[in-house]
Amino acid sequence: MRKYSPAGHIFLLSLCLSWLLWPALLGARQVVDQLGRRMQIADHPERVIALAPSITEIIFSLHQEHRLVGVTLFSDYPPAARKLPKVGSYVQLDIEKIVSLKPDLCIGIRDGNPIALVRRLESLGIPVYAVNPTDLERVMETVDEIGSLLDSQEQAQRLTAAMHARVQAVKARIAASRSRPRVFFQIGISPIVSAGTHTFINELIQLSGGVNIAAGPVNYPRYTEEEVIRLKPDIIIITSMARGVRFESVKARWLRWKSIPAVRNGRIHLVDSNLVDRPSPRLVDGLEAMARIIHPELFGNPP
Amino acid sequence: MSLGRPVIVRRMLLLSIPLLVVLLAAVYLGMSIGSTGVDLRAVARSLAGGLSDDPTLGTIIWQIRFPRALLAALIGATLSLGGLVFQAILRNPLAEPYILGISGGAAIGAISGILLGLSRFPGVSLTSFAGSMATLLVLMLIAGTRSMVQNNRLLLSGVMVNAFCGAVIMFLISITQDSRLHNIIFWMMGDLSLADMHQVTILGITVLPCFLFIFYLAHAMNVLLLGQEMAQSMGFDVRIIVSLLLVVTSLMVSATVSHCGLVGFVGLVIPHLFRLLLGADHRLLVPACLLGGGAYMVLCDILARTLPSHGEMPAGVVTALIGAPLFIYLLKRTER
Repeated sequence: MRKYSPAGHIFLLSLCLSWLLWPALLGARQVVDQLGRRMQIADHPERVIALAPSITEIIFSLHQEHRLVGVTLFSDYPPAARKLPKVGSYVQLDIEKIVSLKPDLCIGIRDGNPIALVRRLESLGIPVYAVNPTDLERVMETVDEIGSLLDSQEQAQRLTAAMHARVQAVKARIAASRSRPRVFFQIGISPIVSAGTHTFINELIQLSGGVNIAAGPVNYPRYTEEEVIRLKPDIIIITSMARGVRFESVKARWLRWKSIPAVRNGRIHLVDSNLVDRPSPRLVDGLEAMARIIHPELFGNPP
Repeated sequence: MSLGRPVIVRRMLLLSIPLLVVLLAAVYLGMSIGSTGVDLRAVARSLAGGLSDDPTLGTIIWQIRFPRALLAALIGATLSLGGLVFQAILRNPLAEPYILGISGGAAIGAISGILLGLSRFPGVSLTSFAGSMATLLVLMLIAGTRSMVQNNRLLLSGVMVNAFCGAVIMFLISITQDSRLHNIIFWMMGDLSLADMHQVTILGITVLPCFLFIFYLAHAMNVLLLGQEMAQSMGFDVRIIVSLLLVVTSLMVSATVSHCGLVGFVGLVIPHLFRLLLGADHRLLVPACLLGGGAYMVLCDILARTLPSHGEMPAGVVTALIGAPLFIYLLKRTER
């Protein structure tokens, strides 16, 4: 066996140290994303790609859109986002396009971006920071985290403080009322699909002082007309999610069943799906819209 | 069969060399064309060793487009050859590589893997491969080695197994209610977008020996077409040849399907195309299907990823859109 000289030891030691320190020297830092994955990213990412419409919205709301070099299809808010280069849809990312935009950071979302595509990007040397906002609280944390990734902690804190205040305001008014109408939230038309317990929609219904009659372990349970008639919802809320199907025609289908309290009392409403299923700051707009629908006596009539 | 050895070797070379050139040209195009543009000259420079000035383009050409073109070539070759072999051993012109239920079994395996939350590779590939091998086993048990030679029984059993699998697939899809549905549908349409060299190497190692083996049996397939008694009298054990071809072909088709999903239609159209052009000699048809099927698939994949302005369409869609009219045109022309 060969023996190392002391000089050799020092050399090896310094090699180890420099390996530990090189990120700092290169202007990079270690971060851990919301899935617990450790990665190396640039200290000040300048070329960022948002891999989902909600992340585009968060970056715009932090006024960091100058760093965005790419967004996904359906990134339609704010309108300026439509002008950015598109890198495919969030479930079918165009890897070649992403590589060609030379990003120093991609921000992806667990509930949407297929993990295989994320791994493929990482194998090409592109760091993908994954977020996993599962409720309103975690959306605010995500805004804060993206803020600190993009050197805009202060903006993020101001934004989340405002979101927090608006949520508290809704909560305070709802606490004053004891009525808890039973809500059927319809996101699919054919088949009829609603939202279970572990969804933003369920959280928004609860915070707005309603009871989600589709609450349960299945995230997006299917229903038949018969089941809904039997459940006698006080309010039916329909989202604009099913493209190409007009709200009026869906509403007309329900109007045939006068035994449903929501039909008798004219409480069938439309809500913009982008406000209730995108984990972005606009979720609070969604909350206020839902609160107006469920408790018009507290918030004024819905528009 | 009347052709002697030197003649057939010469014809093989006369056929294979131009087809190989076409395949290489297709791969070159595959490396040059992508969603971010057409870089014919950049690829040439890169092949000559230059292109250090733009590492991003280098990554796109060598790590994204190149593995994808190679994968498409392997898939096209495997499925075309699979169709050719099944058409020969089942003596049925409608046979294609999926006809014996391999696709259905693989799909059930893949969907189960996706529903269990396994990763695309190797998890889903493994469950899918296990699914198709299980179907093959069930099929061989149903049909038995004796009826393997009575083609209609094997064929019918396969069609039934496939129909049963189809029902299970629809059931699994109907109870899936979240984003995993996307993964399932992409898999069923065939998806090459995740190709990397690792995958190409594994698939290559699996299918290349199968290609050689089938090429070795090309003459035997010619004899099979003469009928069982004739083959027997010429000293061929039909049962063994058919079983070997069935297993080897199923193996390579399963490997392909488990990597890339159900890429459709190549296996039906390419063998018929070459049979129309070259006649029934499998010593010519095997290399033609390998090289021509590979090139055809690479070209179809280029169209599949560049035709839509955003995203991709399944390569199987393009293979059928171009292949079916082309085949009908050739059929009409040879009739006259």
